[in-house]
Amino acid sequence: MKIVSAIWPVCLAILPALALAELHVVIIEGLEGESRYGEQFREQVAAIDIAARTLTDNDRIRVFRSNDAGRDNVLRYFESLSATLGEDDQLAVFLIGHGSFDDHEYKFNIPGPDLTGEDLLNILNNMPNSNQLLVNTSSASGATADMLQQEGRMLILATRSGVERHATRFGVYFASGLSDPAADVDKNRIITALEAFNYAERRVEDFFERRGSLATEHPRMEGDQTGRFSLVRLGLAPTVSDDEKLSDLVADRNALNARIDELRLSRERMSTDDYQARFLEAMLDLARVEEAIEEREREVGLDE
Amino acid sequence: MNSCRPLSGSLATLVLTSVLGPTDLEARDIHYGAVDHPDVIACDRLYWRGETQESTVCYERLLRSRAPLSVKAEAAWALNDLKTANGIFQQVLREQPDDVVSRTRWGDLYAASHNYGEAMNIYREALSTDSSYAFARLGAARVLVGSFDDAANQYLEPLLTGSDVAGGARTGAWLLVARLALENGDRDKALAALEEAEGFLTTNDWPLLEIYALRASADLLNNDSDSPWTARSLKYNPSFGGIYSIPAHFYVIMRRYRDAIDLYQQAIDIEPGLASAHEDMGVNLLRDNQFSRARRHLEIAHDKDPFSPKAVNTLRLLDSLENFRLVDDPAVPGKAGELPITLRLHKEEAAVLASYAIKLTRESIAEFTERYDFELREPVVIEMYPDHEDFAVRTSGMPGLGILGATFGYVVAMDSPSGRSPEEFQWGTTLWHEMAHVFTLEATDHLVPRWFSEGISVFEEWRSGPNRGVRIPISVYLAIKEGRMLPVAELDQGFVRPSYESQVIVSYMQAGLVCQFIDQKFGVEKLTALLYKFADGLKTLDAVEATFGITADEFDREFRKFVESEHGHILDNLDQWHRTQLTMMQRFDASEWNGAIDAAEQMLDVFPNYTEPDSPYLVMASAYEKLGEQESAMATLETFEARGGYEPDALMRLANWMYGQGRIAESIDVMQSVIMVDPLDQDVHGKLGDMLLESGDAAEALREFEVALALEPHDKATAYYRLAQAYYQTGKTDQARDTLFLALDVAPGFRPAQRLLLELTRSDTDIH
Repeated sequence: MKIVSAIWPVCLAILPALALAELHVVIIEGLEGESRYGEQFREQVAAIDIAARTLTDNDRIRVFRSNDAGRDNVLRYFESLSATLGEDDQLAVFLIGHGSFDDHEYKFNIPGPDLTGEDLLNILNNMPNSNQLLVNTSSASGATADMLQQEGRMLILATRSGVERHATRFGVYFASGLSDPAADVDKNRIITALEAFNYAERRVEDFFERRGSLATEHPRMEGDQTGRFSLVRLGLAPTVSDDEKLSDLVADRNALNARIDELRLSRERMSTDDYQARFLEAMLDLARVEEAIEEREREVGLDE
Repeated sequence: MNSCRPLSGSLATLVLTSVLGPTDLEARDIHYGAVDHPDVIACDRLYWRGETQESTVCYERLLRSRAPLSVKAEAAWALNDLKTANGIFQQVLREQPDDVVSRTRWGDLYAASHNYGEAMNIYREALSTDSSYAFARLGAARVLVGSFDDAANQYLEPLLTGSDVAGGARTGAWLLVARLALENGDRDKALAALEEAEGFLTTNDWPLLEIYALRASADLLNNDSDSPWTARSLKYNPSFGGIYSIPAHFYVIMRRYRDAIDLYQQAIDIEPGLASAHEDMGVNLLRDNQFSRARRHLEIAHDKDPFSPKAVNTLRLLDSLENFRLVDDPAVPGKAGELPITLRLHKEEAAVLASYAIKLTRESIAEFTERYDFELREPVVIEMYPDHEDFAVRTSGMPGLGILGATFGYVVAMDSPSGRSPEEFQWGTTLWHEMAHVFTLEATDHLVPRWFSEGISVFEEWRSGPNRGVRIPISVYLAIKEGRMLPVAELDQGFVRPSYESQVIVSYMQAGLVCQFIDQKFGVEKLTALLYKFADGLKTLDAVEATFGITADEFDREFRKFVESEHGHILDNLDQWHRTQLTMMQRFDASEWNGAIDAAEQMLDVFPNYTEPDSPYLVMASAYEKLGEQESAMATLETFEARGGYEPDALMRLANWMYGQGRIAESIDVMQSVIMVDPLDQDVHGKLGDMLLESGDAAEALREFEVALALEPHDKATAYYRLAQAYYQTGKTDQARDTLFLALDVAPGFRPAQRLLLELTRSDTDIH
């Protein structure tokens, strides 16, 4: 009855590589068409904005509201960003709005001349970095998949092709997933692009299935690094401390995580009962260390 | 899952032309003079007497002879070589396109092959050549008799009253009138029609077999099972199975399925080749949960009549049942005091639905046992079909049925909640409704009239069901305002032979209101007393008088006063209500929240119980939310819910607000009513389970978490963790540990699961 989303084995306790590069976020809100979509788009933009602020500074987040998202404005911004973006930096671009496709050209609807698929390609190609994520929640967004695909670039699109022209629900679920712990499948308190996509894709499927209707949209994801591209941190960021005892405990935790990873990798060579027993034993050790860490953080005043 | 679909008209035509040759001699309707060739009549008379071998030889001789083509067509048809018959008729009409006799018989051939659309086309062609050709009118009337728009009457009426009508066609018309009258329970009208028909048949030495069968039916419906007409028929033709299968049809209409099965068996015993009897036997055996026997008869039916979509559809349904699972409660039979319940659920949703269905069924049994003073005597079987067309075939042998559930005695079949959107279907209410039928049918040995059984079921939905509240659609109010309610003595007709499209739903609601009226004016004990008057064999007129001490006319007058006093305000203001509804929506769309609220309030002054998915309560609540007035929004939704509102998203908002205010028990109640509408939302089960755990009901929480997991949630770590918590709190530590393993296997960094593992281990250590 229900299609089980693939649960990627990204929970190997290796955190996404967010500490090594700066994250730049650009959110573009398109024209609403009808007022009900306007409200939805505003809520999605707000959710993505809030999510981005958990991972990067405000001055690396640029939000284009529908009234200032003119083509020239947007292109000018990306041009200036290309001059400042580092090669190792991450770039996440979010398009929230309506799209169209006339069998030749995709357009994202903004005031004045629309942003075309060609514009998007040029924007992304002109960036000095390769670690790029484009999330396009608009109708017909799938029309840009082939032209935008590139090594290192990740695409999350609300439709699988330009033929799916109805207003989508994907954006609503994608945005809501950024604050829903249910999207954090591996419970590491980071929601990656992969996790957000899987969450939203499942919600879209359930929506149509529960109503007994044919799905008018099929979300699509390209690129194999989406499991390492963080979109939001849930809860507080880990604090740095020079407390020696705490540092020792954190080292113990890291060692235990490595032990658990190794155990999981060698799972096929063990019986089920043996694996379960050893896994739970390692988990108990980890749980005790985590408990000790929390206690130590309280003692040194890091829990506030 | 295989979907069952009927053979389409064109496909049936193809099938008609691909039958390879004659099979066993089949029952061919008596034509009463539609065919007048003496050679055909001679063979027919042998057949009608039950001299099957002689008639076969006779027809075969005709087919080989140099008789006119139309005669050969009849002979082929009689030998069940329908392909040949069809081909010959086509040839006849190519050569003589104005031959209305042959064209009409060709239409009769299509009708006999269940291709009613094509038959109707051919009858129209015949009538365009000769508008007064009576047998074509008769054929059209027979095809149209099930429609709402009285189309059959335009063909039937002239046959009964016209001056120059062929005697056989007029006789056929009276026989049709008799059948319809019996279906409507009008025995007197049926007998009068049979009198009209009998004169011509006797004078012209036509067989009286159909008359005998219909008279026997009238006797059986009068509870006279030893009809003299049966013996007369058997004397005339000892192998005329119709003497049993025709009365059986009326038993089926009255839901006396086991009695019908007995009669179909007798029909088959004397006429083993009667495909229709095998088919109806099969369909009714399924209604009695006898699947193996049913399949045997359906296979025979299909073999003998491959054109019948009913047998094909039902056999396909039986094949698809391999995708279903049986769930028994109690799981171990023989547990003292518990009536066994068996669920037949699709294997993909059995784990989700079973526990709720069992709980609700048991609650209904407890409620109705006490209320109607009747203990069920046999196990109950509940079946839920995700594919509505499978349910339709299960119920009637054909897809396209508009109902949501059906009861055949101890067997209930209904749509599954996964088959319909939550806005249009409340599965819990439907199950409750059907369980009430189990009681009213079995308490009266299926003698309860349809209207009263439906009335009690609707009344119990409103009074005691899982989403209580009187819910009457606007369309029904309009019908009441137009004076379309029926006298109580005629209310069955609204179900069996509706004369306009919405009459069935109007009859449902009227029946429910009648029961509500009885309850309020005379008391609930009178409702039960009336039920048992039907068990004694009384018809509505006599039962009403015996129970209430007033005539049915007086009852109707009092009932109308009740409707006026309870619903008069709504009836008088319907037009204004509609206009205000438009205004409300316009204001809401224009974001005029206060204006929308005002309009909603005006609507609710008129119709406070209107809780359908377009209810003003919902608009009002949304408007209050937009204004930031959560308290008012909450109060609105609480009223909505109390009056039977069931829209799941709105109720979930209410439940969340209640939870936020610490009103846990109320929040739990609201979420449990959501599940009676939409049990397939994993979020609901997870949240409800959390609340139940919080309120100390770990056993119920465990059920919710098990169901949530069965729905294959996206967040498996949380689902396993919740389940582990419930296992732990119910003392099942081993299962808790195993489930925690599953949670942590998905998400080793999941702190709450780690903490629970520690707690579990420490408590184990403390114990040991």
